[in-house]
Amino acid sequence: MSTKSQVRESWGTSYGQMVWREFFKSRLNTACMIFIIFLFAAAVLAPFLANDKPFVIRIGGQLHFPLFGDLQPNDYCVFLAAIVGFCQLLLVLRNHRRVEPSIRGRVFWRQVSINTVIMVTGIILIFIFVPRRLDATDYKSMVASGKATSAYFAPVPYGYARTDLKSREQPPGREHWLGTDDVGSDVLCRLIHGSRISLSVGFVAVGLSTVIGIIIGAILGYFGGKVDFLGMRVVEIMMAIPTFFLIITIVAFFPRSLFNIMIVIGITSWTEDARFIRAEFFRLRNQDFVQAAVSLGLPLRSILFRHMLPNGIAPVLVNATFGIAGAIFIEAALSFLGFGVAPPMPSWGQMLSLGVSTTGRFLWWLTLFPGMAIFFTVLTYNLVGEALRDAIDPRLRKAA
Amino acid sequence: MSEDSFLLTVDGLSVSFFTEEGVARAVQDVSFSIKNGKTFALVGESGCGKSVTALSIMRLIAEPQGKIVSGKIVFDEKNLLELKEKQMRNIRGNKVAMIFQEPMTSLNPVYTVGNQIVEAIRLHQKKPMEQAWADTVEMLHKVGIPDPDRRVSEYPHQMSGGMRQRVMIAMAVSCQPKLLIADEPTTALDVTIQAQILDLLDKLQEQNGMSILLITHDLGVVAERADDVAVMYASRIVEVAESKVLFEGPLHPYTQGLLRSLPRLGISAKRLQTIAGTVPDPLHFPTGCKFHPRCPIGNSDKRCQSIEPRLRQVCDGRCVACWYAPGYETEQEKKNTN
Amino acid sequence: MIPTLLGITIMVFAISRIAPGDPVSLSMGPGGQLDAARAADVRKARMALYGLDKPIPVQYAKWLGRVVRLDFGDSLKHHRPVIDIIKERLPITLTLNLIAFVLIYVIALPVGVLAAVKHKKLFDRFSSVILFMLWSLPSMWVGQMMIGYLCGPTFENWFPPAGLSSNYADQLAFFPWLWDRLWHLVLPVLCLTYSGFAYLAKQVRAGMLDNLRADYVRTARAKGLSNAAVVFHHAFRNSVIPVITIMATLLPAMLGGSVIIESIFSVPGMGLLAFEAVTTRDYNVVMAVATIGGVLNLIGLLLGDIAYAIADPRISFEGSEL
Repeated sequence: MSTKSQVRESWGTSYGQMVWREFFKSRLNTACMIFIIFLFAAAVLAPFLANDKPFVIRIGGQLHFPLFGDLQPNDYCVFLAAIVGFCQLLLVLRNHRRVEPSIRGRVFWRQVSINTVIMVTGIILIFIFVPRRLDATDYKSMVASGKATSAYFAPVPYGYARTDLKSREQPPGREHWLGTDDVGSDVLCRLIHGSRISLSVGFVAVGLSTVIGIIIGAILGYFGGKVDFLGMRVVEIMMAIPTFFLIITIVAFFPRSLFNIMIVIGITSWTEDARFIRAEFFRLRNQDFVQAAVSLGLPLRSILFRHMLPNGIAPVLVNATFGIAGAIFIEAALSFLGFGVAPPMPSWGQMLSLGVSTTGRFLWWLTLFPGMAIFFTVLTYNLVGEALRDAIDPRLRKAA
Repeated sequence: MSEDSFLLTVDGLSVSFFTEEGVARAVQDVSFSIKNGKTFALVGESGCGKSVTALSIMRLIAEPQGKIVSGKIVFDEKNLLELKEKQMRNIRGNKVAMIFQEPMTSLNPVYTVGNQIVEAIRLHQKKPMEQAWADTVEMLHKVGIPDPDRRVSEYPHQMSGGMRQRVMIAMAVSCQPKLLIADEPTTALDVTIQAQILDLLDKLQEQNGMSILLITHDLGVVAERADDVAVMYASRIVEVAESKVLFEGPLHPYTQGLLRSLPRLGISAKRLQTIAGTVPDPLHFPTGCKFHPRCPIGNSDKRCQSIEPRLRQVCDGRCVACWYAPGYETEQEKKNTN
Repeated sequence: MIPTLLGITIMVFAISRIAPGDPVSLSMGPGGQLDAARAADVRKARMALYGLDKPIPVQYAKWLGRVVRLDFGDSLKHHRPVIDIIKERLPITLTLNLIAFVLIYVIALPVGVLAAVKHKKLFDRFSSVILFMLWSLPSMWVGQMMIGYLCGPTFENWFPPAGLSSNYADQLAFFPWLWDRLWHLVLPVLCLTYSGFAYLAKQVRAGMLDNLRADYVRTARAKGLSNAAVVFHHAFRNSVIPVITIMATLLPAMLGGSVIIESIFSVPGMGLLAFEAVTTRDYNVVMAVATIGGVLNLIGLLLGDIAYAIADPRISFEGSEL
């Protein structure tokens, strides 16, 4: 057994481990990560935290489980994604303990590919086999009227789509802890479900923009010359129109949907990443190890992505983190202006827009709470991005 | 040697840096004296503390991370470490000037070369603008820059490394300082340019009668240009002597190792000699004599491993810090050890 | 420059044509009012009228030809030439953004420099936290909070919640009118300024910190210069250079932010126009706003480039690429 740990010690610390350690030295960063985990938990477990259907209800002596029966395909997809993501995380930790550094990269990508396949097939299967439910039974009135003997509700016993015009625009109180909006939906419930929208827009949009940015930047940076000249003109054109203008222009012409928003934000935000990667590739192109790879006859794909990219990935990751904050903000802004997701889908931005009612009344709870949600989420991701940048930079400086 | 022929005396200087990982004692108990009009070389490997010593003389150590912990630096009968900042500024660039290693980055890229020299002149000598510019052009001529009238309005990025270093020298010497500190002035330059720059420094020294504190790791330069030498290792001075004397017969094992490792013409050898081991980390110095892990005598000697030898004068003009250097121990001490 | 301008027009046009549906069907509304044959005829006539039956490149060329003459067509909602509406609204947005710009630079530069000079001391730590939080604050939240807390009957009533001038403004003499205008502008300008200010101050601080550690600063100190001279004459002069290029990132962000802020405060500028146009599907206006926004941005970038070339002697005018 001593030889095993000796072998492990000889592996040293990888770049990622150094950054990890540096990152978590500060308590603020740890707090931010805890908040992010908390956000993710809220997003994944939303139907269990805020739902107007009870977990279990006893009607006429029989136990029913309405909440579980009412879970939509979307919910199952989110659970699947969460489980797959969590397993991948555990696998990464295991890789660092059990797998030798030189093959760790390959092992990691193999795991990611397998997981992606699992997720995609899972999503397809879920959408085929799980029907969309719509259970409109009012369980609360059943309890109230005595038809049901006992029931256990979720902590926030309201549905995000449920309207209740009798109690619209209520300030926070015992019934609705954070108040209600203009159609009577509970604010806290919509906040919790809204985290799903915000986080999914953040990650999908940024994922898309990062991938596009890397590919374009790599091609421009590696080939240079005419390709680069033409390509940079295109990048300049994209950068010339103010991003927000461009987004609302596109949004004006296309129908409103969550998917469209993610795509639009993704295809308008890639220019920063492309420039980073292009600059990195310019720098690396002339270095010896790239020349060596070329002279060995390695395929272009391999040179670009296995040899050059890992060197330039650090600022892209930092940019991606800031990008998530930006995407969340843009989605909130679009929804605020009425161009984003439409009700009954819960969006923090849309809730914020209700803060000043049509009659001019200031509904402070509809301004304060969604606003705080957006603010703290954006703040946390910005802090993480900043901390990542600091964790990566001194490493580079010390190593240089 | 009388005291009044010494321009600068450093006495017991200690400088420490307070970092997150601990206290780095960069300079410990360093003492030496520079004579009027002579060149004093401070030699050592990277990280031994020679640059920090030079910066301490100028009091350019960055507080609060760095602090001059103790010692005296006597210049012109004043202790520089006790002067107020305003008085110190009067001395910097004026009585004591410094040139640095990297001419590429040591000049401000957004101002012309002439502008930067004029700034120095106008700061210390209350001359009108035209006079200052005329002096600047003359300085550029003196340091050997061709076509100084045109060059004076050029920017640093338009000049080569050698020329930039000449500009630095011009800037430093413009107010006729009594002491010029040259921190590895030629390390970043081509070998051919090196010789030119060193010749220039010699010429200016002759013309102005100034002393030069030459900081370098290149023993060849020391042999050619220095009058006196101090060898530094791991924050301490281990040997001081006149240059000729040092090269003929070094007393400290480190100096001996350095001289042995110089490749020589006319001798055929299979391998270059080296000093085994590496320079210690300033945060974790070895106990006793800092050189003992790499010393052929000291690595097995208990005294070298536990007690650090102080710098002592062993004969006229020579100091050394080694228990086994000839003349180091007094008869009394020898008896005590045995 | 020209290719980029052309590119902007191509992109805007492409978006309008890629989109599902077309202006004619939308303006005709869901079919079924007219009987099918007549509907088809009307549709054909309308398409011919708007030139929508021609091939796309021809449409583009025609559109471009009109755009160059500043003819963006008529607004479907206001039934006026788009260019007239823009002429009314653009100065307001420009005024707002210019004031914000000036404020940003005037406040951020001293704050950034001071924070760098007093690195790690109280001012630096305190301001870093504040700046970071300001940078992360969503502008619509701030705007709405301001309206709610500072403009309304429920809390304080210090500022007007909407518009550029009070209703009775045209009856005022010049100075009272100016004062009234400024009073209305305070909150929108504040909202527009704070995030750009936070970003710029952070960049200035970072740049100053880097420059204060540079070799030439050590040389300057070795010459005997005072701390003030070193900081302002040497370090700051070098820090200013990247700050100018930041203008390139600030400008589009502020133009975009105008949309949100103008719609919150009902300031009749280009941003509000864009918002209304998108809401009412007024395509001509949307395309005009996007094109003009892009052109304005390019002008700003060009000015920035020129200023950069002036400030940094290492750059020549031959259009170097970063």
